[in-house]
Amino acid sequence: MLMPPFVLHNPTTVEEACAIAGSLMEKGEDFDWVAGGTDLLPNYKWHLNPKPHVISLARIEGVNTLSLHEIGCMARLADLTVENGIHPLIVEAASKVASSLIRRNATLGGNLCLDTRCFWYNQGEDWRRSIDWCHKADCGTGADCRVVPNQNTLCVATYQGDIAPTLMVLEAEVHLIGPSGLRTMPLQEFYQLDGMKKNVLEKGEFLLKITLSEASAARTGSYQKLRVRDTWDFPEAGVAASWIAGDATSLKVATTALESIPRCHPEEVTSVLETGWDGMNSVKALAAAVRKSVKPVNNTSLPPRYRKSMVRVLTKRAVEKMIE
Amino acid sequence: MSGGYRQQPGGSGQTTRKDGKRVAGKQSFPPPGSGGSRPHMKPRDLDFIPESVGGKEEQPAGSHIHDRARTGTTVGKEIPLVDSNAKVTGQAWYGDDVRLPNEIIGKILRSPHHYARIKSIDTSRVEALPGVLAVATGEDSPHRFGVLPVTKDEHAMAVEKVRHVGDLVACVAAVDEATALEALNLFEVEWEVLEPVFDPKKGLEDADEPIHWRGKYHLSKTNVQKRVFQEFGDRSLVDKPHAESHGKWSMAGVHHGFTEPHAVVAHWGPNGRLQLYTPQQVPHYTHRALSTVLDVPMHQINVIRTFVGGGFGGKSDPFPHEMCAAILARKAGRPVRITFDREEVYWINRGRHPSHIEVKMTADEEARISGFDIDALIDGGGFASFGHVTSYYNGVLATAPYELGSFHYTGARVWTNKPASGAMRGHGAVNTRCAVEVGLDEMAETMQVDPIDLRLANLLPPHSRTISGFRITSNGMREALEKVREGSNWDEKFRQMPLGKGIGIGCGFFISGSGLPIHWDPNRFPHATVHIQVDMDGGVTVHTGAADIGQGSTTAVAQVVSEVLALPIEMIHVRSHESDTSPVDLGSYSSRVTFMNANAAIRAALEIREQLLNAAWDILGYHPDNLVLNDRRIYYKHDPAIGVSYLKALHKAQEDKGSLIASGAYRSPPMGGVHKGAAAGLAPAYSFSAYVAEVDVDVETGMIRCTDVWAAHDCGKALNPMAVKGQIIGSCHMGLGQVLSEKMVYGRTGHLQNANLLDYKIPSVHEMPHVEPIIIESCDPEGPFGAKEAGEGPLLPILPAVVNAVYDAIGIRLRDLPLTPDVVFKGIEKTLKNSKVDDPLDLPSPRLTHSSLQPTLVARAQEHKLRDKARQRTEDTSPYVNGVLFGFDPTIPLEDQVEGWRTATEPDPEQLAELGLAGRAWLKKEQREMGGEN
Repeated sequence: MLMPPFVLHNPTTVEEACAIAGSLMEKGEDFDWVAGGTDLLPNYKWHLNPKPHVISLARIEGVNTLSLHEIGCMARLADLTVENGIHPLIVEAASKVASSLIRRNATLGGNLCLDTRCFWYNQGEDWRRSIDWCHKADCGTGADCRVVPNQNTLCVATYQGDIAPTLMVLEAEVHLIGPSGLRTMPLQEFYQLDGMKKNVLEKGEFLLKITLSEASAARTGSYQKLRVRDTWDFPEAGVAASWIAGDATSLKVATTALESIPRCHPEEVTSVLETGWDGMNSVKALAAAVRKSVKPVNNTSLPPRYRKSMVRVLTKRAVEKMIE
Repeated sequence: MSGGYRQQPGGSGQTTRKDGKRVAGKQSFPPPGSGGSRPHMKPRDLDFIPESVGGKEEQPAGSHIHDRARTGTTVGKEIPLVDSNAKVTGQAWYGDDVRLPNEIIGKILRSPHHYARIKSIDTSRVEALPGVLAVATGEDSPHRFGVLPVTKDEHAMAVEKVRHVGDLVACVAAVDEATALEALNLFEVEWEVLEPVFDPKKGLEDADEPIHWRGKYHLSKTNVQKRVFQEFGDRSLVDKPHAESHGKWSMAGVHHGFTEPHAVVAHWGPNGRLQLYTPQQVPHYTHRALSTVLDVPMHQINVIRTFVGGGFGGKSDPFPHEMCAAILARKAGRPVRITFDREEVYWINRGRHPSHIEVKMTADEEARISGFDIDALIDGGGFASFGHVTSYYNGVLATAPYELGSFHYTGARVWTNKPASGAMRGHGAVNTRCAVEVGLDEMAETMQVDPIDLRLANLLPPHSRTISGFRITSNGMREALEKVREGSNWDEKFRQMPLGKGIGIGCGFFISGSGLPIHWDPNRFPHATVHIQVDMDGGVTVHTGAADIGQGSTTAVAQVVSEVLALPIEMIHVRSHESDTSPVDLGSYSSRVTFMNANAAIRAALEIREQLLNAAWDILGYHPDNLVLNDRRIYYKHDPAIGVSYLKALHKAQEDKGSLIASGAYRSPPMGGVHKGAAAGLAPAYSFSAYVAEVDVDVETGMIRCTDVWAAHDCGKALNPMAVKGQIIGSCHMGLGQVLSEKMVYGRTGHLQNANLLDYKIPSVHEMPHVEPIIIESCDPEGPFGAKEAGEGPLLPILPAVVNAVYDAIGIRLRDLPLTPDVVFKGIEKTLKNSKVDDPLDLPSPRLTHSSLQPTLVARAQEHKLRDKARQRTEDTSPYVNGVLFGFDPTIPLEDQVEGWRTATEPDPEQLAELGLAGRAWLKKEQREMGGEN
C-alpha cells in the first residue's frame, strides 16, 4: 500500500499550528490534522480522502497534559491506561481501546475526533471502485450512500470511539482552538449528527484539551464494550454510565458505536427517575429505554439488530454496579 | 565431558619421526573438516533407542522396521526447528525480501465487476506513460493452467471474461510503484456486464451464461463444476433406526490468514532462462504451469521457493500473478516484482469452501452406526483450484474412524462469482467432520449414553479397511479418546456443569499424504525423492524439494538423516529452495511431506550409512552387524574403545570416488478400491485425533469463550514432540477461528465486505484457550520411524468439540458457523420464545441419565480395546473390514455375503427424487447425453 504524497507540517507551538492552518486556508489548500496517526494514516494508505497537507500536533509542547482535571489532546492512550491521577472510568475505557501497540501511539484528541467507520467506506481503492464509490468518499462522482441507498445527503458511518461516552458521563468540556481563537463547550455538544461532518470543528480548528470539573472527580462509573475479540476491535456497541455514590438522581448514561456520533441519554434517565428509583427494576427499565432510543445501521461487523439488543445488556451491566 | 572417545581427527597418522622430520615416502595431509565442534563422543542416549534394539524407549504399540536405524541422536527429542534462527533474527528471506538489481514493480488491474465480458482493452495511454516498461493483457497468455491437470480453468489474465470482483484483467510494470499505480488508472476497458451468481444453490440451476463451459461434460447449463455420488454398504440397515440425528449446516468460507501476503519476483537471466522467486507450497506445480503458460520447456525455468510466511493451503496453487510477473519480466527485459496488498490476498483466496451440509445418521438397537448420509453443496467461487478433490473429501473422509453399516454421499461443487475456494488445512474434511461429530453427540443424547462411550464402542480397529476401501494401518483413536476423557476429568463434568459452562468432545481422521501423485503413475514413479551428498569436510548436504512452509519439513528431513548417521543436526544442511538443485517433489499439501520425504531421506541415509559401516569394517575388521554408530564414531558394539571416528570412516569410504552420494525415494504401496473416485482420500496412513473443549457461554450476549482444550493427536511417532505440540496448538487456534469468529462476509451486493485483518476476525491471544497437547504414538508400520502427519488432522476435532460444548453449556444446537455472538444470541432468543422463559439466565442446562444401553457400550468398548491392542501389536493379523461389527465375515467379499451390499458411484434412477440439496446435481444431464458438444 502506497500512501499518497503530502506535505507534512511540524509546528512546535499552538500559535504556529494555527498560523499554518490559517495560511493554508488562505491559499485554498486542503489539509488534515494528525496526532498519533493510528486513524488517519491507515485511511491515507487506503486513499480515503487524503489531503495535500498534513499538520502534525506531535511536536507542540504542552498539549499532552495529564491530570484529574485536564487531559491534553496529545496525551497517549497508553498513559491513560495507568492510574496516574486520572479518573478510573477513563482508565477503564482507555484500556479497552484497540491493542497495547496502538495505544502507545494513539492520542486522546485523535480518539475523540476519530473518523466514522463503515464497511462500504473503510476499503481499498479498487474495492470502492467496484461499488462505484460511496457518499463519504465519492471521488467527485456524487455517489449515493451504500447503507441507506438512494440518497447522498446524510452519511450514516458509525462513530466507534471508546473514550467519548465515558467523558460525556463525566461531564467533560472540550476546548477547541483555531485561527479565530479558543472556544469551550460540553463534550456532548461537540458532536454533530453526520458521518462526514462528525463534529463542530471548523476548518482550521483542532481539539486542544478536555477538562473535568471538581464534581466529576466524585463520580464513579462503568464502561461496557461489545466486541468480538478482546483486542484490536472497535466497539460494536458501548455504554458508559456514571453516578455519585448513593445518589441515583446523579446517574448519567452515554452510548457509542451505534450511530454517527456518541450520545448522552438524559431523557431516558429522567423518565425512569420520574417514577422513583426502584433498584434492579429501574436498571432494567432504563436498559430497555436506552436500547429503544438507539438506531444502529448495517455497516459494522455485527448485525444492527444484535447490536441494538446488546445495548440493553450493556446498559444493565454498566448501571447495575451502582446498586451493588 | 571427560573419559569419552576422541572425535577430532589427526594425531594417529605416523607421518613424522620423533625428531619432527618426515618419514620417508610419507606426506602429511591434515584431514579437512573437524567432525563437529565437540572433541568427545557423547554416550549413547538409550532413552531414545527403542527397546526392540536394546534401548530403553518403550514401544507399547510394537516395534518398527526403522528401529535398527535409530541411534538416539534426534528422533523423539524436542529440537528447535533448524530454520528458526533465520526467522527470529530477521534473516529469512520471504517473497518480498528478494531484491534483484534493476528490478521494476508490477501491478495488476483488477475487475470492478462480479461477472463481465471484456469487449476491448485499450492500453495505449498506459504505454504512453513515462516510466511504464511493460504492459500485458489476456492476449499475452492464451494457455490455461490449474493446480489439477483435470481442471485447468485459469489464465494469467482474463481472456474472455472476468469471474469475480478482483479477478485479473491486465498488468503493468513500471520503474516504481507510484508510476505502476498511476498506470492502472489509464487502462480503458469496455465491459459487457453479465448476470452474476452468488448463492451456491442457484449455481445448481441452469444459467444463461455459465461461469465456465466444460464442453460435452458440462451439466446441462448449470454452474456445477463437479458432482459426486457414493454409496457403500447395506442400505436396509437404516430403515428402522433406533436413534437418529438430522442436521442442516451452513458454514461460512474461511481464509488461511497467513502472515505473508503473496509476492513474486521474476527474472529472465542472460541465457534466456526464467528464475522465479515465490513463496510456494507447491513449487513443482508452479514450475509446470509456468512452462505451459510461457511456452518454455521446464528445464529453462528455475523456480526458487523463498521462505514461506505461512501457507496452510493458501499458497498451494500456481497463481496467475506468478505468470504475470514472468510475462512482464520477459517483455521488459528486467526483473519484475509483484507484492500483494491484503485485499488482493483475499481476492485470490482459495480458502475453505462456504458449505451447505446436511447429515443424517442412524443407529440400531445396539447403538451401532447403521448409516451416515451426507450431502454437501460447496461454493467453489470463480475457479476450480483443488475443488475436484474437495468435492470427494467432503464425503469420503467421513468414512472413518467409525465402523458403519452403510454410507451415502452426494456432493456438488458449484462455480459462483466470488474468489475461488480451494485447499485449506484439513482440506475438505473439516466441515463434514464437524457435522458428523455433532450428529453423533445428538444420537448419544437420544440414546441416553455417554458420547465418548458411543464412539469407543464403534471404532474401526488398527489394520482394517473402511467401508469405502481405505486401508487403515496404525490407529490411535481409542487411546486418544481415553486420554482426553481422563485429562479433562470428563466423567465429572459432562452434563453436570451449571448453565453457561459446557464441555464437548470431537474426533478427527485425516490422510497422511495423498496416495495419488496426481501428475504421474504411482506404480512407476516415486512420490518423493531425496539426495544426500557427503563431502570430505564431513558435512552432509541433503537435497529435497519439500517445501518448508513453517511446518518444519526441513527440520524433519534433517532430523532423520541426523538420526540414521548419528551426526549432530548442525552437520546436516538441507537444500530445498531451487528446482534446479532439488529432486522433483510435489510439495507441501495433503500432509504428505513428513511421511513421504522423511521416508525417502531415511532410505538415502541408510545407503550412506552402509558405505560408512563397510569402510569401518575395512579399518576395524568387524562386520557391520557388530558395529554401532553413535555421535560421530563407529565402534565395536562390545567395546567402544575399538572404533574409528566418523571422519576416518568417511575418508576411507571416499577413497577412489570422492563424495558419497545417495538417492532415496518413497513410493506408496498399491491400495484402494477400483470404483470411480476410489483414489480420493486414499493415503498410505491416516492420523486420528480426539479433543475435549470446555467453554463459557455468556447467555445474555451469546459470547463464547473457549477456556480449555485437551487435544490428543495420533501422529504415529513424534519425531520432534516440540513441533507436534506446536502443530496441535496452532491447529486449535485456526479451528477456533473458524468455529467462533472467522468468516468471509459477502454482503447483499455480493462484495467481499471484510478483505482485511481487522474485519476478518482471527482470534487473538486473548481468545486462545489453554491447550493441553497430548501426543499419541501408534507407531505406523510404513511411516518414517513410525511417524504420520500432525499438520492438518489436529484442526478437525476442535470445531465439533466446541459446538458440542456449547450445547452442554446452554442446551442449544447451533449449526451456523461461525458461532459469532449474534448467531448464538439468535439461538438463545428462539429457545426462550419456544420454551416461554423470559430471562436467559433461567434456561435449563442439559442433563444425562444413562439408559440401559450405556453398560452394553462400555462392555463392547472394553472388548474392542483388547481386540485393538492385539491388532496394533500385530499379535492378531487376521483380516478386518468394515462390517465385522455387524456380523459379517471379513474373509468373504461383502457383496457375496450380503444381498444388497452396494458400491455405487451413480444414483439409481429411483433414488433421484430423494437426493439432498447437492444431490440435485444428479438430476441434470451432461451435454453429450443431450446431444450437445462433443
